[in-house]
Amino acid sequence: MKTRLCAVILSRGLDEMLRFCLKNFFESAEQLSGEIEAEAIVVDNASPRPYLGTSFSDRRVRLLRFDAPTGFAAACNRAVQKCEAEQLLFLNNDVFLDRSTLGQMLQHGCDADVGVTGSWLYFPDGRVQHRGVVFGNDDIGPYHLHRGQYLEPRRPLEAFQAVTGACMVVGRELFNRIGGFDESYAFGLEDIDFCLRVRQCGQRVICVDAGRPMHFESFTPGRVEMDVSSRRLFMERWRGKYTIDG
Amino acid sequence: MAAKVVGASAQTNGNTGGHLMLYYFVPGTSIFGGIKVAYQFVDALNALGVPAVIASPGASAATWFLSHAAVVDSEEVRKTFRPEDIAVFSLPHDYPSLRTLPGQLVFHCQGTDPLIDPILADPAVKVLTCWRQAAEYVKARGVHDPLDVGISISSCFAYTGEPKFEYAVACMPRRGAELGEAVRRAYPAMRYVVIDGMREGEVARVLKHSSIFLATATHEWFGLPALEAMSAGCVVVSTPVLGGMEYLEDGINCRVAEPQDFTAAVGELLQERSAVSRFQMRQAAIATARRYTTECMMQRLSEGLDGPLSSWRRRA
Repeated sequence: MKTRLCAVILSRGLDEMLRFCLKNFFESAEQLSGEIEAEAIVVDNASPRPYLGTSFSDRRVRLLRFDAPTGFAAACNRAVQKCEAEQLLFLNNDVFLDRSTLGQMLQHGCDADVGVTGSWLYFPDGRVQHRGVVFGNDDIGPYHLHRGQYLEPRRPLEAFQAVTGACMVVGRELFNRIGGFDESYAFGLEDIDFCLRVRQCGQRVICVDAGRPMHFESFTPGRVEMDVSSRRLFMERWRGKYTIDG
Repeated sequence: MAAKVVGASAQTNGNTGGHLMLYYFVPGTSIFGGIKVAYQFVDALNALGVPAVIASPGASAATWFLSHAAVVDSEEVRKTFRPEDIAVFSLPHDYPSLRTLPGQLVFHCQGTDPLIDPILADPAVKVLTCWRQAAEYVKARGVHDPLDVGISISSCFAYTGEPKFEYAVACMPRRGAELGEAVRRAYPAMRYVVIDGMREGEVARVLKHSSIFLATATHEWFGLPALEAMSAGCVVVSTPVLGGMEYLEDGINCRVAEPQDFTAAVGELLQERSAVSRFQMRQAAIATARRYTTECMMQRLSEGLDGPLSSWRRRA
C-alpha cells in the first residue's frame, strides 16, 4: 500500500511562486510514484486576491481559505485536520524542491526513531539557507547553522535539535500526539518549538542532503516584523531549557 | 476522521507514543563532571538510536558545554513514568526515590564511595561503569557484574597545534586549593589561570595554550579535567587519584606526586633541562587521551546495545 503524503503550503499572494512550488513538489513526488500518493493543501492566508479552486489545474491540490491573516501554527494545524495522509510535508511557498528531495527526506524520515526530517536548502545564488538549526548561549538562541555560506554536505544526514519548518516532513501520528504547532506564536519559531517538543518525546530531528532545493526566504510582506514577538515568546518559554550546540 | 489538533502550549515530557524512553536523572545544571558525563551519555545513546533524554528539575538544561540532549522536567517524569521506561542515575541520593518507579533502574557509576554499596547490593539495579577502578569496585561489592560503557572527552579539547605558553599553568582549585597555593607561592613568575566556573569552550581554549595543568584534588575518582588537559596537550601534575590511575603514568605522560612532593614535582618540570621531557610527556598525554574519544565510547556502548542492553533499542 502506498504511503500518503500531504504537502501543507501556506501562501499569501505570490501566485506564480506558488505555482512553481507546487510544480516542483509534484515533480519530486513523481520520482516516488510507486511508493507514495501525493496531495497538497494550499492554505490561502488572506491573499488580497483570493486563489480560486480553478487556479490549480492539478486535482491533487485542495484549497483552504482564511479571510483574515492567520498565524503559521494555527493555519497549519487546521490544514492537517483536513487531510488524512500518514506523512505531512510543511512547505513554504518560496521553496522549490529538487527532484530527489522527497525521496531522500522520506527514506530517512520513515525510520522509527526519526520524528522530524528537514532538508538542506539553498539561496538562489548557491549559498546555504538552511542545513539545521543550532542553539547558542544566552541571547543568541536558535540560529541557522552556516547560513549564507558556500558549503557542500559532507554527510547524507545529521541530527539537530531543530530544523526549519520551511521544508519539514513529520508523521501525522506524532504531529497529533504532541498537539501540533503551538498557536501562541505569531509567525516564526513555532517550528523550532515543535522540534524541541518532538525531541522531548525521544524522537530524533534530522536534516538530510536532498539535492539542491531552493529557498528564497521571507518573500511574504510583513513576515519579518512578526519574528520579534515570536522570538520573545520562544525565549520566555525555552531559555535555559535547551542545550547549547552552536 | 483526523484527530483533533489543538495547538500545543506546554512541553511534552514523556509523550513517547508507546516506545520505551530512557530518562537520565540529574540534580541540576551546575558545573561538575558528573553532569557533563550524563549529557554525553544521552548524546551517545541518541546517536545510536536509543530514545533518551535528560530529566532535570524544572527541565533546566546545563549550558556550559556542548550537547544535543533534550531536557525534560524530572518531577513530571516521575508522575508519568511507565514500566517500560528506564531510569538512569549517578548520584546515590537519587536511589531511594527512583527505586519506587515501576521501570528498569540503572546506576551509572561515576564514583566509588561506600554510599553506593546499597545500590550495588540491589539485584534489581543494572550497573554501568565508566572506568576500570569503578568496575573492580562494583565486581567486589555488587551482586551483578557491571557493564563498562566508558567515558569520553569532548572533541573541543583535542590539541590541534595551538602555541603553548611555557609559563602558563592551568588549575582547578575547587578541591586541593592549598596545593595550588603552595605552587603559586613557590613559583610566582608563572602565569596561573583558574578554570573553575568556565564554560567548556573557554576551558578548552585555556588548556590548549597552557603548558601545565595542576590536578590537585587528592580524592578524585576519575579526574575528567586532568584527562581533558592531557587531550589539550598539557603536562598534568596530579596527586594520586582512584580511577584516574588507568590513564596517569608517572614520568611517561604526566607527573604523579604525593601532596607533600607536589610543589617539588612542579618545580622539577619547570627546569630548563626538563624541556625535552615536558615535550615527550605532552605527546604521550595526547596519545593517551585518544583512547577516550567520543567514537571510542560509542563503539563500546554500541557493543553493549548489541548485547546486554539490547532491550534499550527502539523497536520499529
